[in-house]
Amino acid sequence: MSELIPSFDFQAVFIVPWQEDFQGYFLIATMGFLISLSCGLIGNFIMLRRMALIGDAISHSVLPGLAVALFLSKSLATTAMFIGALVAGILTTVLIELIHQNSRVKPDAAIGIVFTSLFALGVILINVYAGEVHLDTECVLYGEIAFIPFEPLIDIGGREWFPGSVLRMGGVTLLVILGIVLFYKELLVTSFDPGLSVSLGISTRTTHYLLMGLLSLVIVSAFQSVGAILVIAMLILPGATASMLCSRLPAILWLTAGLCLPATLAGIHLSIWLDCSMAGAMVIASAVFFILAWLFSPRRGLLQQLIQKVRLPEVHNLTLDNSQE
Amino acid sequence: MAATFRIVFVLALVSGFFPQVLEAAKIGDVTETRVIEQMFRFLSLKDPSVRATVIGTTLLGICCGLLGPFIVVRRLALVGDTLSHAVLPGVAMGFLWNMEKDPLAIFIGASLAGLIGACAVNLIKQTTHLKEDSALGMVLATFFAVGICMMTMIQRLPTGNKSGIDKYLFGQAAAMNQEDLILLSVVTTVVLLLVFLFYKEFLVTSFDAGFARSIGFPVNLIHYLLMLLLAFSVVVSLQAVGVVLVSAMLITPAAAAYLLTDRMHRMLILSVLFGVVAGVGGAFLSFLSNNLPTGPFMVLSATAVFLAAFFFSPRRGLIPRWWRQRSQTQRICRENILKAIYHILEAGEFEEEGVTFSELSIRRNEDLLEVRPQILDLEKADFVTVSKSENRIYFTPDGWQTACSIVRNHRLWELYLTNAVHYAADHVHDDAEKIEHVLEEETVRQLEKQLNYERRDPHGKPIPTFADIEKGLPTARQSRPATGYMSKS
Amino acid sequence: MMDSSKNDSGEECPLEIHDLTVAYHKKPVLWGIDLKIPSGNLIGIIGPNGSGKSTLIKTVMGMVPSSSGWVKIFGKSFRKNACRIGYVPQRESVDWDFPVNVLDVVLMGRYGRLGLLRRPKRDDREVAMQCLDKVKMLPFADRQIANLSGGQQQRVFLARALAQESDLYLMDEPFSGVDAATESAIIELLHELKDQGKTLLVVHHDLPTAKNYFDMLLLLNMRLVAFGPTEEVFNYDLLQKTYGGRLTILSEVADEVRRHAEADS
Ligand SMILES: Nc1ncnc2c1ncn2[C@@H]1O[C@H](COP(=O)(O)OP(=O)(O)OP(=O)(O)O)[C@@H](O)[C@H]1O
Ligand SMILES: [Mg+2]
Repeated sequence: MSELIPSFDFQAVFIVPWQEDFQGYFLIATMGFLISLSCGLIGNFIMLRRMALIGDAISHSVLPGLAVALFLSKSLATTAMFIGALVAGILTTVLIELIHQNSRVKPDAAIGIVFTSLFALGVILINVYAGEVHLDTECVLYGEIAFIPFEPLIDIGGREWFPGSVLRMGGVTLLVILGIVLFYKELLVTSFDPGLSVSLGISTRTTHYLLMGLLSLVIVSAFQSVGAILVIAMLILPGATASMLCSRLPAILWLTAGLCLPATLAGIHLSIWLDCSMAGAMVIASAVFFILAWLFSPRRGLLQQLIQKVRLPEVHNLTLDNSQE
Repeated sequence: MAATFRIVFVLALVSGFFPQVLEAAKIGDVTETRVIEQMFRFLSLKDPSVRATVIGTTLLGICCGLLGPFIVVRRLALVGDTLSHAVLPGVAMGFLWNMEKDPLAIFIGASLAGLIGACAVNLIKQTTHLKEDSALGMVLATFFAVGICMMTMIQRLPTGNKSGIDKYLFGQAAAMNQEDLILLSVVTTVVLLLVFLFYKEFLVTSFDAGFARSIGFPVNLIHYLLMLLLAFSVVVSLQAVGVVLVSAMLITPAAAAYLLTDRMHRMLILSVLFGVVAGVGGAFLSFLSNNLPTGPFMVLSATAVFLAAFFFSPRRGLIPRWWRQRSQTQRICRENILKAIYHILEAGEFEEEGVTFSELSIRRNEDLLEVRPQILDLEKADFVTVSKSENRIYFTPDGWQTACSIVRNHRLWELYLTNAVHYAADHVHDDAEKIEHVLEEETVRQLEKQLNYERRDPHGKPIPTFADIEKGLPTARQSRPATGYMSKS
Repeated sequence: MMDSSKNDSGEECPLEIHDLTVAYHKKPVLWGIDLKIPSGNLIGIIGPNGSGKSTLIKTVMGMVPSSSGWVKIFGKSFRKNACRIGYVPQRESVDWDFPVNVLDVVLMGRYGRLGLLRRPKRDDREVAMQCLDKVKMLPFADRQIANLSGGQQQRVFLARALAQESDLYLMDEPFSGVDAATESAIIELLHELKDQGKTLLVVHHDLPTAKNYFDMLLLLNMRLVAFGPTEEVFNYDLLQKTYGGRLTILSEVADEVRRHAEADS
C-alpha cells in the first residue's frame, strides 16, 4: 500500500512542477479549464433536460467516426477526424430517436443499444486496421491530457502560443458561451416548460437540435484529452455541484464557471502527488467538490437536512406554544 | 505542420502505458488465418480453448439475458452501464489484495464496488434534486475515474504480476481460464435460481413498485438484490466483453425480446436465447480471423438480433407494419373503386348492369390510364369481371357485397353523425369517407338499431341493409342473367 | 357566406374551430368540433374525465396535431398569432426542482414578445412584478418555485399568463388544488380580464360553481354537446347528455379506428 500512495510533500507537489516546467503545466491547466468550462456550462442545460446520458452515448460513439475518418483519409489529418467524430455524434442522436420513435423500446434502452453498437464497431475497425493506423482505443476511454505539452505549438503573430487542440477547445468554449448568452431565453423556456415555449412561438425542435450539435462539438473536442467516459463527469459534476449551492440558473452558471479552475488545479496536483492519470484526477477533484457541496450545502445539503429533521420538532413545539398564549 | 490529433499516439508512447494495447483480444493462438479452416476448427469444438470460450459465452448469455428484461422494462437500462464502470475501482482493489489477477478477490472487490455505486445512485436520487440520469452519469464517471487512477498507479508498481488486468477495459473471452469459468457458472446458477425463486417479486416490483410496497413486498430489498445480481453478472462478463460493452449484453437481447412478446416469462426465455446466440456468434466471428476482438463481435451480434427484431417482428416490426399498411391502403383503394361503380349503377337506378371504363374514369376523376390497372387488379382479386367485347365492368357476388357494405357504412355513419352526434350536415361526408373502411359488422348492427333501421341517409339516398346485400342487385331486368351475382340467386 | 374570421359585429373572432377531429395514436378522442367563440367572454369548458378538454386546449395550442379540420386564432393560424394566446397548463407538467424563482417564471411570459437575441428589460420586470401583485404573490418573488404550496404555484402560472398580455387565455383547471379564498380571488381576476375585452376559456370541474362563474359554457364529451350562454345551456338534459356516459358507438368506433391503425402504423 505504501508503495501505491507516495508520501505527500508540499514542496514537491505544489511548487516544484511549476518551477520546472511552467509552460507545460500552464498548457495543461488551460486545457483542463477550457474543457471543464465548456462541458460544465452546456452540461447544466443537458441535465435540466434530463439528457445527461445522451452525452454518454455521444462520447462513446465518436470512436467509429474517428476510425472511419482515419481509414478514409489515410492520414491523421485533424480536420478529417474532427468531422468524422462530429458526424458520428450527430448520427447517434438521430439513431436513438429513430429507434425509440419506431418501436416500443424506451429511450434509455435505445441509448444503450446505439452507443454500445457504435463503440463495438469502432473497436473492431481499429483492430482490423491496427497495422495501418495507430489509434489507441484506451486513450479513447480515458484520454491523456498530460500529453498536451508535447504537441507542437501553433504560430500566431510570430510567437508560438498554444497547441492546436488547446486553440480549438478555446474556440469551442467561446462558441458555447456565445450560444448560451445569445439564446439563454430560448434554452431556459424550452427546458423548463415546452408547453409554454410552444405558446410563445419558440421552436423546441430547433433548440433541441442546436443544443445537440453544440454538445457533439464540445464532446468531440474535449474527449481527446479526457476520454469518452470522463467527458460525462465534466458535463455533469460542475453543474450538479453548483446547483446544490444556488437556486437560480444564472447563479448556477456563474458558479459552474467559477468551480472549473480550482477543480482543474486540484486535479493536476492530485495527479502529480499520486502519479496517476491526470484526467482521472481532475474528475476526482470535481467529484470531491460535489461531495462537499452535497454534504455541507447550506440550502439542501445532507447535514442541513439532518439538522432540520432534528430541529423540526422544536420549531413545532414553539409554534404550538405561541398559539396557546 | 505535423498532424496532431490528441487521441492518436505513436505506439511507443502507448506501449509504455499498457503493454498489450493493440494486440487486442483474440481467441487462442491462431496462426492459420484461412477462414474455412478456422470455421471448422470452431464448429468441431475439438480445441479446448474454443470449448472454454463457447461455454463461457453461453453462460454469459444466459446470465445477462435473464437479468436484462428486468432493467429494460423498468427503464433502468443504463444502470448496467453505470455498474460496469463503477466496478473498476473494485477490480483494482481486488488486484491489490495479493498483487495478482486472482479471480475471486477481483470478483468480490468488483461486486462490492458495483453495489456501492448502485447505493450511491439511489442516495443521490433520494437526497438531492438531481434526476436519475444525472445521478447515473455522475456515479459512472466518478467511479471510473477512481478506477483509472488506481490502474495507472498499479501499472507503475514495481512488484506483482500485472498481466491481464488491462483486459477488463476491453475484455478477452479467450483469456478466461478454468477459475474464471467456474466463477461464471456459479454466478449463472445463482442468478438462475434467484430469478426462478423470486420471479413473482421481481415482476411485481418492476411493474409497479408502489403496488408492490402496498402489498407488503420489501421493495428496497428486492431492488438491491437485483442490483447485486446485476453487479455479479457485470463483473463476470467484464473479462469477456470489457467495461464499455457489458451493458450491451444486458440491454440489447432484452430489448429484442421486448419487441417480440408481451409476456414477461416469454421475454425472459427469448432474451436468454438471444444472449446465448449473441455470445456464441460473437465468439465464432472473432475466431475467423487473426486480429479480431471477441467482445465487440458479441455486441454486434446482439445488435444484429435486435435489428432483425426491429425490422421483422411480426407484430411490431417495421417491415410487417409497412406491409400491413400497404395492403390496408390497397384495400381502401379497391373499396373506393367498388363504391364508385356502385354509385354509377345507382345513378342509373340500377337499369344498367355494368359500367364502362369511361364512366368510371369520369366518376373517379382520373385518366383512363390510371383506372385501367386498378380495374385489372380488382379483376384479379375477383371483385369484378370485365367483358372484353362490351368493354364493360360487372360486379361479381363478392364485389357487389363489398360495394354494398361500403356504401352502407358510409351512409349509416353520416346518418349517425347527423342524428346522434349533431354534426353539421356539411361535415359528415369527410368523416364517413374514413370510417366506412373501418366499421365492423357488430358496430353496424348496433348503428342500424340505434337509428331505428332508418332507410335513407341525410342526403335522402337509400341505405343498403344487410338484407339488401343478401338479396342481390336490384336490377330492373330480372330476365337477363349477366353478372355472376344473378346466377347465384 | 360572410367572412368567416369576423363575427356579426365585425370584430375578429378570437377562436374559431372548424370540423376538428383529434386522435391519439389514430384513436379519435375528439370528433368534429365546430366552434366560434365570441370575444370578451368568460367561458367554462365542462365535461367528465377523459372527455377531451385538455386535448381540445392542447390542439388549439398546436401541441397535439389534429387529424382533420382547422383552428383559427383571430382569423389567422396559430403560428402567426401565437403571441396573442396565454396558456395555463394543468399543474403537474413542469419540473418543480428547476432552478428558477417565481419572478423568473413570470418573466418567461414576456419572452414571446421579445424575439430572438433580446433580453428582458426593466419594463418587462415591472410588468412581471405588477402581475405578481395582482395574484398577491409579490412577497414570494424571490422564492424558488419548489418552495411554494400547490395553490401558490397555480397563482404563479396565472401571473405568467397575465404577463403575456394576451387577448385569448386558455386555462386548464386553474382551480384544482386551490382553496376557496384563492379561487374567488382568481375568478375576480378573470372577470377583470374579461372586462378589459379579453376572452377566457377555462376548464372547470365543479358544476355548482360553474353556473355562477361563467358567462358561457362549453359542454364537451368526445364531441361538442352544447355551447351557449350559461342560462341556456346549464340544464338537466344537456348535462345528462354530457355526463351520462359516453356515446358507446362513438367510442367503439374510435377503438376500431385504432385497431385498424395499429395494423398499419
Ligand atoms: N398522450 C396521450 N396518449 C394517448 N391517449 C391520450 C393522451 N392524452 C390523453 N389521452 C386520451 O384522450 C382522452 C382525452 O384526454 P384529455 O386529457 O383531453 O381529458 P380531459 O377531459 O382533460 O380529462 P381530465 O378531466 O381528467 O383532465 C382520454 O381518453 C385519454 O385517455
Ligand atoms: Mg385534463
